Amino acid sequence: MLLTSVMVVLREVLEVALLLSVLLAATRLLELRARWFYIALLLGGCFAVIYGENLAKISQAFGGVGQELVNAGISIFIYILLIVVAVLLLVNWHKKHYKLLTMQFVMLLAVTMAIMREGSEIYVYLTSFWLHPPLLPSVMIGALLGAGIGYSLSALFYYLLCGLSQRYTLGISCIFLTILAAGMSLQASQLLIQADLLPAQEPLWDSSRLLEENSIAGQLFYAISGYEATPTPLEVVVYVGSIVIMLGIIAGVYYRISRD
Amino acid sequence: MINLLKAGKGILSSGRITGCLWLLIILLGFPLLNTCTSDTDKPTVKLEIRNHLFNPSEVAIPADTEVKLVIYNRDSSPEEFESYLLNRKKVIMGNSKAVIFIGPLPAGEYPFFGEFHPKTAQGKIIAQ
Repeated sequence: MLLTSVMVVLREVLEVALLLSVLLAATRLLELRARWFYIALLLGGCFAVIYGENLAKISQAFGGVGQELVNAGISIFIYILLIVVAVLLLVNWHKKHYKLLTMQFVMLLAVTMAIMREGSEIYVYLTSFWLHPPLLPSVMIGALLGAGIGYSLSALFYYLLCGLSQRYTLGISCIFLTILAAGMSLQASQLLIQADLLPAQEPLWDSSRLLEENSIAGQLFYAISGYEATPTPLEVVVYVGSIVIMLGIIAGVYYRISRD
Repeated sequence: MINLLKAGKGILSSGRITGCLWLLIILLGFPLLNTCTSDTDKPTVKLEIRNHLFNPSEVAIPADTEVKLVIYNRDSSPEEFESYLLNRKKVIMGNSKAVIFIGPLPAGEYPFFGEFHPKTAQGKIIAQ
């Protein structure tokens, strides 16, 4: 039970942790206080419990695809929020103190949403063991280990980002924000396909021989970029489209502020 | 709080960016409105989870066809249906059922598992 618990928690934590590290690095880049982060942790935790408690009802809603709809909605929302974060980061790089409060609020929303979604799964998993007290200690220890590993990895990633030379920090942060955001819209498209709301197609390719999704590298790659070994054509279009749209907006803003 | 509201207004009025975002929302939202397809014509396959085991653990489905998978969780504890090759992931609460659409799949075997009890809850879809 211990190992299962480590894996369940680690996988969910990783998905949020990388987002957290990039946003915290952006916070540090702009010399902001990390207060929004603690509020987001608290709010996300609360909403995760509420979402987890109501998951049974939500799942049955909309003809049994309520879970997919809510999670896809959250993913698309985070994608849009990350575009706003990237734009504000860029603007602030050139012109100090531009809508910093908005930026913190947007980051708070994104992190709260992400924690709510992944946290609810951890909550559902852990609370199912209340009825089996003998298993509880090993499950809890496993959960702590998983959370600890996730935390360490994201701390490592955060310090890597912060340790970069100032010249590259902005560009690399924007690139990571774009990749994470595209991963979000990829997830959304996948959930909508799973719910039969987007057309289902045969996979375009199978790269599982090259990089298996359930390998450690595959899992990490999934957490960063939403890696799928067997994407359908629609998923590829959504992924590439999301990157192009976001980079387009970033480039447009960059062009405008460097012209002023 | 007032500051937050002001800030919120500020971002709504920042012209071109907002325009792009609306376009994005419409583009992403459009398929949802557009594809309210009925699933009555899709073959349905049922399986159940009991004592953290999938029954049947091997499910044959027609290749190159979209299939509606209905999974009944007869345990009191929740399970998460997950498959890397199928790109599917869904929490199924205790004593409830879940609907997951899979395929169309090229002929082959596609393992799935219950993430909450992976030692016992293992199975595979066989597309043929």
